[in-house]
Amino acid sequence: MRDTSFDNKEVLDLDAGWGTAAEQEFDIESEDGTLVATAKHAARERESNAEQSVASAEWDTGFSGDGATRLSVAEKSAKEQRSKKKPGGQRTKRTVVNTIIHVALAALCIFWILPFVGILLESFRCESTGLAGYIWPKQWGIANYVRLFTETKFPRWFGSTLVMGFATAVVQTIFQLAVAYALSRNRFKGRKLLMNVMLIFGMFPGFLTLILLYTWMHDWNLTDANAMWGLIIIYTASSGMGYHIAKGFFDTISHSIDEAAKIDGATQFQIFRKLILPLSKPIIIYTILMGFMAPWGDFVMATFMANNASSGYNVAAGLQWLLTDSMKNDYYTTFCAGGVTVAVPITVLFMCLQKYYVTGVTGGAVKG
Amino acid sequence: MANVKLINVEKKYGKSQTPAVCDFNLEIADKEFIVFVGPSGCGKSTTLRMIAGLEEITSGTIEIDGKVVNDLPPKERGIAMVFQNYALYPNLTVFENMAFPLRLLKTPKDETDPKTGKVKKKYEKLPNEEITKRVMEAAEILGITEYLMRRPRELSGGQRQRVAIGRAMVRDSKVFLLDEPLSNLDAKLRNQMRAELILLRKKIDTTFIYVTHDQTEAMTLGDRIVVMKDGYIQQVGTPAEVFDMPNNLFVAEFIGSPKMNTFKTRLEKDANGYFVSPCGVRIAIDGEKGDALKARNIQAQDVVLGVRPEHVSLTKRDNPSAIPCTIQVNEMMGSEVHLHVLTPQQEQIIVRIPTVSLDTYQLAALHAGVKIFITFRSKVMHFFGAENGCNLLADVACKAAMPTAQAPSAQSPAEEPKKKWRRMK
Repeated sequence: MRDTSFDNKEVLDLDAGWGTAAEQEFDIESEDGTLVATAKHAARERESNAEQSVASAEWDTGFSGDGATRLSVAEKSAKEQRSKKKPGGQRTKRTVVNTIIHVALAALCIFWILPFVGILLESFRCESTGLAGYIWPKQWGIANYVRLFTETKFPRWFGSTLVMGFATAVVQTIFQLAVAYALSRNRFKGRKLLMNVMLIFGMFPGFLTLILLYTWMHDWNLTDANAMWGLIIIYTASSGMGYHIAKGFFDTISHSIDEAAKIDGATQFQIFRKLILPLSKPIIIYTILMGFMAPWGDFVMATFMANNASSGYNVAAGLQWLLTDSMKNDYYTTFCAGGVTVAVPITVLFMCLQKYYVTGVTGGAVKG
Repeated sequence: MANVKLINVEKKYGKSQTPAVCDFNLEIADKEFIVFVGPSGCGKSTTLRMIAGLEEITSGTIEIDGKVVNDLPPKERGIAMVFQNYALYPNLTVFENMAFPLRLLKTPKDETDPKTGKVKKKYEKLPNEEITKRVMEAAEILGITEYLMRRPRELSGGQRQRVAIGRAMVRDSKVFLLDEPLSNLDAKLRNQMRAELILLRKKIDTTFIYVTHDQTEAMTLGDRIVVMKDGYIQQVGTPAEVFDMPNNLFVAEFIGSPKMNTFKTRLEKDANGYFVSPCGVRIAIDGEKGDALKARNIQAQDVVLGVRPEHVSLTKRDNPSAIPCTIQVNEMMGSEVHLHVLTPQQEQIIVRIPTVSLDTYQLAALHAGVKIFITFRSKVMHFFGAENGCNLLADVACKAAMPTAQAPSAQSPAEEPKKKWRRMK
C-alpha cells in the first residue's frame, strides 16, 4: 500500500555519494570544538571519562559532593530524626486519643439505641399498662400484642398504611425514574427551567399545602374514613419532583450505551426498559424504599386528613391516638407493642432488599 | 455494501454557531476503508456521528447507497458502529450483547387474511435459531466463542472490543463505522488489534469508516486517509500520497512521527537551477524535485522547507552542504535513535537514525553536547508557501479555507460531542 522509496536504505542505494550514518563515516566534535577523528575514539574517551567521574564520586563523601548528593544527604538525616521521635511518646498519645474516641462513640451508641430497647422491653411488660418509672419488665408476656390486635383498630391502621406504602412505592418509583431518565437523556426547551422550578418547589415543606389539599380531598370525599385513598393521591402526586438522586445515577451511565442501542434499532423506551433499568437496581431499590416508608412516618398529613375519624388513621396517627390523655394509662404498653410491630415490615423489607445495594453493576460497560 | 456520499455537510453547535464541521465533501466508494484522522476537536468524530445519525446535520446532504439519509433515524440507515468505550450492555451476557440488535430486528412480511382476503403487513421477529447461528458465526470469526456466556465486566479490554465489533458484525450492515476503537487499549494490544482489524476487514468486506487521532493507525489501515483540522478537510489521499505529497504544512507535520522538521528559508533560482539555504548552507535542488519546480515555473520566494526526521542524514564535516548542529537530547527508542539537535540559528531539528546502521561506539558517541553534521537530499524536501502553508508542488489546489494551517488558533472552534454533553448537564 505504502510507497517505501523514501526509506534510508533506498536513498543510499540510489546515490552512493550521500548516505545516512549506516555505511558512511560521520564526524563528531567534542564540546570545545576539537574534531574527534573517529567515532571510536570519542566513545573510548567518553568511557574513560565516565570511569574517572565514578571514581571521584567514590572519594567524595557527604557534603563535598555535588548539589544533588548534598540534598539527598540532608533528606536522609531529616528522615532519621523523624523516625527517632516515633516510638514511646507517640504510641501512648495515640492510645489515649483512641480510648477517648471509643468511649465517646460507645456513649453515643447507648444514647441512640436506648429508646428502641426501651420500647421493645416495655412492649413485653404485663404487670401494668400505663407509664412506669422503669423499663425492665417485672412480668413478661405478649398480652400487649394481643390487645393491640383485638382491642384497638391497629389492624386497620396497619393494613391501610401497608396499602399506602405499596401504592406509593410503585407509583412513585415509576414517576421518579421516568422523570429522571427523561431529564438525564433528553434535551428539550425549558429543561433547565423545569429542573430549577422543581428544585425550588421541593424546598417548601409539604404541609404548607395542608389546608388546600384537605379542601380538595374533602370535596372528593377522600378524607375522614376514606383518608387512605386521599393520602395515596397526595403522596404520589408530586413524587416526580424527587428525581434528583435517580437523575444523578442515570447521568453516570455512559451515553454511548444509549447511542449503541439506538443504532442497534432500539426505541427510547426499549433502551430504558431493557438496558437502563437493569443497570439501575440500586437506585430502584432506594426509590422503592423511600416510597414505601413515607406513609409509615407521616403524622401531620395523616392526622389532618383523617380528621378525628380513627378508622382513617395511618399507624403513626393511630398510635399517637393511643397516647392521648384519656387513653395513655390503659394503652401505653400497647402503644409500645404497636411501635415494635410497625418496625417489622420495614426491617424485613430492608433486609430483603439490602443485598441489591450492589455497586459496580455497571462494571464493564465502558472502559473501567 | 454501499457507497457513502457527503455533500457540503456542515455542523454547527449551539447558539454560538461556530462550525464544528465545514463544507465537507467526500465520496466513499463501496468496500473502501477510509480513515478520518486529525487532532482532537477537528470534527472527525462529529462527522462520523452525523453519518451514523447520532448528530443532526446543520446543512448539506448525506447519502448512503444512493439514498439521502439526512432525516432517517440511525437504525434505518443500515449502519453499524463500534464505540471508543465499547458501549457494551453490562447487564447482558456477551451472547445477548451480540444478539441484541438481532432481537430488535423486525422484518416486514405481507400476510393475507383468509377471511377477508386483505393483505396485511406483519412484522416478524427473527427466529431464535437464526439469531444463534449469526452470533456464533461472528463469534467464531472473532475468536470469542468461549466467552459467550460471560458478562462484559469479566472480559479484558481486547476481548470487550472484539465483542463490540461482533455486535456490529451480526447486523450485516452496509457501512461499518468505528470511532477510535483502539484508543482505550494499551500499546501492545493496540498493535495486535490493528493487525486483526486488517484481517477482519478482508472477511467482512464492507465499507469501513474509521476515526482515529493516531496517524499510525490511519496509515496502516486506510485505503484512503482524510486529514481534518478545525472542521475542514485538509487532504484526502492514499497513505502514500498523504505522506509523500502533503497538501499543506499541517498535513506534513501531522502525518509522520516524529513530526516533520521545518526551516524558514528562501527558495532561490540561478543559472544552475533552484537552491535553498537552510541555516546558511546552500543546498542545490536537483533531480525530480528540481524538475518539478522548473515544470511549474515556481518563482523565487520565501518558503518553509520541510524534511522528515528519517530523511535527515549525518555526514562529514567537509561536506559542502553539512549543517553543524549540537545534540541536545538523545532519545534511544531501541530500533532507532531520535536526536534532537540545535542548528546554529537555534532551530530545533529531530534526526531519526536506525540503530542497526550504527556500531556500538558510534551509538555511544552520540550523546548530548557533541556536535554533529547533518544534511539532506533534495529528493526528500518539501516546499510550502511561507504565507499560506500550501505545498508548492501539490497537484490539488490548496484550499483557501484553511486559515489556521500554520498558526493553530488558541481555541479550537470545533467541539467534540462529548464535551457538549458535559456542558449541558
